[in-house]
Amino acid sequence: MTITQVIVNSIIRASELALLSLGLTIVYDMLKFANFAHTELAVVAAYLAFLLNVTMGMPILPAALIASVVTGFLSIAIDKAVFKKMRTSNGIIIMVTSMGVAIALRNTVRAIWGADARNYAIPLQKPIITPWFRITPLQVWIILIGAASMVFFYLLLHYTKLGKSMRASSDNPDLAQASGISTEKVITYVWFIAISFASLGGILIGMETYILPYMGFAIIIPVFCAAIMGGIGNPYGAMLGALILGFAENFGLYINFGKVINLHGLLPFSKDLFIPTGYKPAISFVILIVVLLIRPRGILGKKKEG
Amino acid sequence: MGLINFLIYLAIMMGIYGILSLSLNLQYGFTGLANFGQVAFFCLGAYVTTIITLTFGMPFILGLLGAMMIAGLFGYVIAIPTADLKEDYWAIVTLASAEIVRMFFLNEGWVVGGGAYRGGAFGVGGIPQPLKSYFSPQTYPLFYLCLVIVCLILTYLIIRKITDSPFGRVLRSIREGDDRLAQAMGKDVKKFRLKAMAAGGIFGGLAGCLWAHYYGFISPYQFIPLETFIVWAMVVVGGKGNNKGAIFGAVIIILFYHSTRYLKDYIPIEEVTLASLRMVAIGVLIVIVMLFMKEGVIREKKKEY
Repeated sequence: MTITQVIVNSIIRASELALLSLGLTIVYDMLKFANFAHTELAVVAAYLAFLLNVTMGMPILPAALIASVVTGFLSIAIDKAVFKKMRTSNGIIIMVTSMGVAIALRNTVRAIWGADARNYAIPLQKPIITPWFRITPLQVWIILIGAASMVFFYLLLHYTKLGKSMRASSDNPDLAQASGISTEKVITYVWFIAISFASLGGILIGMETYILPYMGFAIIIPVFCAAIMGGIGNPYGAMLGALILGFAENFGLYINFGKVINLHGLLPFSKDLFIPTGYKPAISFVILIVVLLIRPRGILGKKKEG
Repeated sequence: MGLINFLIYLAIMMGIYGILSLSLNLQYGFTGLANFGQVAFFCLGAYVTTIITLTFGMPFILGLLGAMMIAGLFGYVIAIPTADLKEDYWAIVTLASAEIVRMFFLNEGWVVGGGAYRGGAFGVGGIPQPLKSYFSPQTYPLFYLCLVIVCLILTYLIIRKITDSPFGRVLRSIREGDDRLAQAMGKDVKKFRLKAMAAGGIFGGLAGCLWAHYYGFISPYQFIPLETFIVWAMVVVGGKGNNKGAIFGAVIIILFYHSTRYLKDYIPIEEVTLASLRMVAIGVLIVIVMLFMKEGVIREKKKEY
C-alpha cells in the first residue's frame, strides 16, 4: 500500500468518525452527560435504511435521508420519555440510563433483523484508480459529506440564532432562559441535529462495509475517543479528534516500527515490527490515554470554570 | 438435568454474580466510579487461574490468589492515568480497557500454553476442578456451591467492613461529587479511587476464578461488554450503595435471565429472538429503575448524625 493510499483511507475514516462524534459532543455540551446510546441510534438508522432500501425497494439516497430524519425524531421521543425527566440528575445517573437505552435499542434491532450481517442493495463499487491511490465513488461521497457536515456545524454555531442559543444555553442555562431562550426547544433541535448526522454516519459505514446489530458497539470506542480527545463538548475538538484517530488507526498499522526503532538502518536491529491488525481497535484507546495524561481535558478542552 | 441440579446451578451463578455485583457496588455504589469495564476483572480472574492451574499445573488455591492479585493490580494500574478524570471519561476508559483485555486473550493464544485449536478464539477447556476426586459427580456441584457461598459471604463481610470503616466514609464523600470535602479532611482523593478500584478488581478476579473452575471452559467470547451491563443491572436494580441490595440484585437478575430461557417451551419463539428480547427487558429495566426508583429495591442506609 502506498503512503498516499494510507492518507486517503485515513481521511475516509476521519469523515465517518466526525459525523458520529460531532453529534455526541453537542449533546454532551447541552445536557452534560455522555450518551452511550448515541452509536446505537446510528445503528437503528442503518437498519431503517435497510428496511426502506432492501425490503421496500427504495433507492439508497432517499432511504438514507428518510431513515436519518426518522431516527432524529426517535431520539427526540426518547429524550421526552426518558432524559427529560432527569435534567437535574447527576451526569453519571443519566449516563447509566443511556446505557440501558443502548442495550434495549441494540437488542430490539437484533430481535427484528437477526444477528447476521446485511448489505444494502447498492451496486458494487468500482474504484477510481489514480497513480497514487484508489477510491470508490462511495468513499468520495463519504469525504464530501464529512467535510460538508463540518462546514454545516461551523455555520450553525456561529451564524444562526439556534447556534447562539445553543452556546448560550450550554454556558449558562438559567441566564439563557432568563434572556428568553427556551432551553427545552434548543435541546430538541440539538437532539435532532446530532442524531440525524450520526445516523448518516452509521448508514455510510454500513454502505462501505455491512450492517450488524453490534456495529454500534464496534464504533462506540473510537467515536467517544474522538470526542474526548479533542475536549468533549467542543465540536472543533471532535473534528480534530476524528482526524487524529483516522490517521492514527491507519498509520498505526502501516508503519514498520522495526525501522523506527533502528532509525532507518543506523542501529543493528533488523526485524520488521508491525502492530497486528487484531489490535487495531486498541490504537485509538492508547492514543486517548496518552492525550488525557498530557491534557486531562482534551486537546481543545475548555478550562474548568469557577 | 434434574431440577435439583438446575437449582444448584442457579445458586452457583447467583453466588458468582453476587460477588461481581458486590465488587461493582463498591466502585459505583460507594465511590461513584462508573466502571463500564467490570468484565475485565472477571476475564482476567478466569484466565489467570486457568494459566496457573492448567498450564503450570499448580494447585487451585494458588490460582485463586493469583487471579485476585492480578485482577486487583489491573484495577489499580488502569486507575492511575484516569483517577483525576471526570466520570464520563472514566466510563469510556474502563469500557475500552476491558475490550483490550479481551482482545489480548483473543489474539495471544500462547498465554494458555498454545497448541492446535487451543487458546485465542478457540478458548481453553479442561480447566481442573478443585478437590474433584473426593466427590462423586452427583455431589460435586453441591460442594462447589458451598465453596461459592463461602466466598460470597467472605466477600460480603470484607466489603461491609470496608464500607463501614472510616475508609468507606471517605469513599462516600468522594461519590457525593465534592472532592474538596475529602481534601479538606486531608485525604488524597486519587489514592482512595485507586484503592477502591484495586479492591473491586480483587473481588472481580475472585468471581472470574470461581466461574472458570466451575465451567471448566473459557473463551474470550464469554467476556463481552454485555456481561458488564448485566452486572450493572444487578447493582442498579438491587440498590446501589447497599451491599445486601447488590446480592439481591444478582439473585433477581439471574432468576429473570435464566427463567426466561425456558419461555421458548411455551411460546413459539426462536431462541435468538428470545435472547434479544431478554436483553431488551434488561435494558428497559435499568431505565425504569433509574427513572422511578433511583435507589433500587433495597435503599442505601443513610446514617443521621
